[in-house]
Amino acid sequence: MAGDPLAFFTLDHGTASTAAALVAPVAGRFRLLAADVQPAGLPVEALLARLVDAAVATDAAALPDAGSWRGWAHLEVATRPAPRVVIAALDEPGLAAVGAAAGGAGWRIVGRLRADHLDALEGTAACLGASPDLLVVAGPPEPTTRQRAAMSEVTALIRAAFERRPGFTCLLAGAAAEAAEGWSDPRLVLGPAATAAGPAEPTSLGELLGDLAADVTARAARTDDPSGPAAADGRRAFAVAITSLAAILEQRVEGVDVGAAGGARVAAGPHGRQARLVLADGGLVPPALLDDDRLVDTVVAWSTVHDDAFLQRDHVRNLALWPWRDVAGDGIHLRIAAARAALARLDAAWMSRPAPDLVVVSGGCFAVMPPGVAELLVLDTMRRPGGAAVAHDHARLLAPLGSIDDEDDRRRLLVDLLDDLLLPLGSVMVAPGSRPARHPGRVHVGGPGPGHDLPLVPGAVQVVPVAAGSTALVEFDARDGGWLGPRARRVALEVSGGLGGLLIDTREVPLHLPDRADRRRDLIEAWERPLWPADR
Amino acid sequence: MTAVTMVPAADPAPGLADLVVPRPRLAPHPRMRFALGPADRALVVEGQTVFAGEPLLERVLDAGVADVGPAGTTGLMPGDPIGPDIAPPTDGAAAAGLAGHGRVLYRLPDGRVRVALGERAATMASPVGGVVLEVSAGRLVLQGEGLALPGTLAAGEGTHGALVLAVAGPDGELPPSAIDVGSHGAILVAGARIDLEALGRARAMGVRGVVVGGLVSRDLRGFRASEVRQRAALHGGPPFAVLVLDGYGKRPIASSIWALLVRAAGREVAIGIDPPQLVLPGDLPLPAPAVDRVRICAGAWAGREGAFMRAAGRVRWAGGLESDAGLVRVDSLEGEAAPPDVLVPLADLEALS
Repeated sequence: MAGDPLAFFTLDHGTASTAAALVAPVAGRFRLLAADVQPAGLPVEALLARLVDAAVATDAAALPDAGSWRGWAHLEVATRPAPRVVIAALDEPGLAAVGAAAGGAGWRIVGRLRADHLDALEGTAACLGASPDLLVVAGPPEPTTRQRAAMSEVTALIRAAFERRPGFTCLLAGAAAEAAEGWSDPRLVLGPAATAAGPAEPTSLGELLGDLAADVTARAARTDDPSGPAAADGRRAFAVAITSLAAILEQRVEGVDVGAAGGARVAAGPHGRQARLVLADGGLVPPALLDDDRLVDTVVAWSTVHDDAFLQRDHVRNLALWPWRDVAGDGIHLRIAAARAALARLDAAWMSRPAPDLVVVSGGCFAVMPPGVAELLVLDTMRRPGGAAVAHDHARLLAPLGSIDDEDDRRRLLVDLLDDLLLPLGSVMVAPGSRPARHPGRVHVGGPGPGHDLPLVPGAVQVVPVAAGSTALVEFDARDGGWLGPRARRVALEVSGGLGGLLIDTREVPLHLPDRADRRRDLIEAWERPLWPADR
Repeated sequence: MTAVTMVPAADPAPGLADLVVPRPRLAPHPRMRFALGPADRALVVEGQTVFAGEPLLERVLDAGVADVGPAGTTGLMPGDPIGPDIAPPTDGAAAAGLAGHGRVLYRLPDGRVRVALGERAATMASPVGGVVLEVSAGRLVLQGEGLALPGTLAAGEGTHGALVLAVAGPDGELPPSAIDVGSHGAILVAGARIDLEALGRARAMGVRGVVVGGLVSRDLRGFRASEVRQRAALHGGPPFAVLVLDGYGKRPIASSIWALLVRAAGREVAIGIDPPQLVLPGDLPLPAPAVDRVRICAGAWAGREGAFMRAAGRVRWAGGLESDAGLVRVDSLEGEAAPPDVLVPLADLEALS
């Protein structure tokens, strides 16, 4: 490596876009010099060259040996379409348990087999025709004789499929492992029983399924590019980076990453990771959008586009085919609707937790919407009483930094880059419980500057400008109490500013939208209107 | 017909390949995958050369499940074919008594064998000539001859026929009334959009397939449901497929693709379902690759084509958002004054090289 040996590129290869950033030491610490994003499939070399050109054009002294950039190190992560799994269990509760574990570990479930209502044709077709990467048979914890007989039949079906079709792995979990007697194969894995838990709750089976998903993803990456370097899994690395960030900031941090083909959410505190969820359906445009009208309608339900629902379905599906297109027209509003629906799916699978201090949003969709709207999306879909700062991983740096193996090195880089990697969007406060008939209360937002004193409007979102880089003391005064989780008449807390300002939300938790499409659209438009640039 | 005037670019645009996503190109040796259901069986073996129209696989239309044995099933293994024309393997005598076509699924814990079996089977013919690459439990893969023009979506069953341009231009629409028995056996190019009624009429008239720029998702769903009903019927009729070249809704066919289709008119072509593709003759004369041609895929100029002039840096759009843009000299339509050069988000462009 010649020239600036410490300058390096980060690359986040997504399924729809590739984000790259140039990081180099400036005045004794690492700084982000340039970042850009392009649709997946375009040459990466040209993207890196543009970053170097942009950095040199801004400050040539920052890169004294810019000509040697081709030799600089790359910190790369990649996210791929979710691996596919067929799950089998005794009954519906068993399927729900193993489905939650598999779904929360990032698997896309392409077949469900119930041993107590086994359809041999459908089951075989799912195992052989749906191209799964993994078959999971989860037995009940303590099976009766009858249950054991039902499980042995479904295991016979799975085993026959497994032996006929090379390439996939089979996991026998819990009591299903009894079937492993006399069945020896390197692709056979034994695991713990499925337990009734939410997709984001850590379970032994969930951990194992997460590891198997990473193996499948790594294998697929090696098949696609046998000669290239093995890029780390982007969603795992994002979770690692959020955990390090929480430790550095000594705060509760939640990271939410909405990619094109999958989504992830992670919660961490100063002492480590608290929860993690990788959801195949948590993406902006999951593959199921192409065939599933109900899924498409969950997107259209959030849309502010004035068009017939069936036309909007076509537009949403075209967005699934080309997620990077139509950034200047109605496509942006559909993209916002799709992001809301994706965040809502991620939230539905998330366990109830106290509000974090900081929410970090990541993913290409947030880059093409106004900062205030990105904040509003967090408010609309991750609703918990309380307040949090919201920041955007605008250069998609977190996942590549999370791929650094050494925790100390990772933290040192994060500390250096802290001012650059998070774009402050603002703060959000959810204060439900205010009713029009009662005294709604007032809020005072202190300086810098003259401050703002305003009455709270029940069932609304109020925007208060608080500049990026500054903090403000917010004092709530409510005669009826009940603000921000703890009940109190007066609450004061400090918030940080950002490009979107402070959003004070007095709408109910959870949010209820009108059933009529036109009323729903008008309401969402009214919430968004103050957050769009004036020349919209 | 809507004619276009090609405007020559002032200079080739060297950065186009680095900035704009290319349209998927023609590829030689197209691969086609065919799903095999639990009771279906391949009629060919790996490495076998097949011709267009030659039987490829046997689909069982009324598959059910039956249990046999355990006596006389020792030799049966999962996946073994069963049928009146198939000699049972040694010690597989129990299968010989089964009427119908199918395959062994698995052995039950009590020693019996569960089989997928049906009485009605239909033979599916190969839509292209080529070599069988893979015959496995769930699929058959064929490497065909010719050039594959990738599509976006396809539905129906792989088919072949003579290509007929049924509309005057790439942005035309094919009404049901324009389809008659004269199109029997043909694959029709239907322009920018076709509706469900026209697809139904095309199938009724013996048309083998339709190639179209866009299809409303509601019509695609209706077509798929109708295909399922059609295949379940006693006499399913010949294979029929629809291939969507671009996406959902009304979407004109790109002029470079249209030019290819014009050259292929009258020749035998095939539609593949998985992946979606139109297989064109391998000896089709191809136009010279365009250096700077782009197609605008979204926004006010969606569907129009032109010459990419240069990258134009960051542009703030009417919505207040910014993105990288390119300057495009849009081709003028027939009778239209030359449009001004327009700024288009790079993400909304598609390179036609």
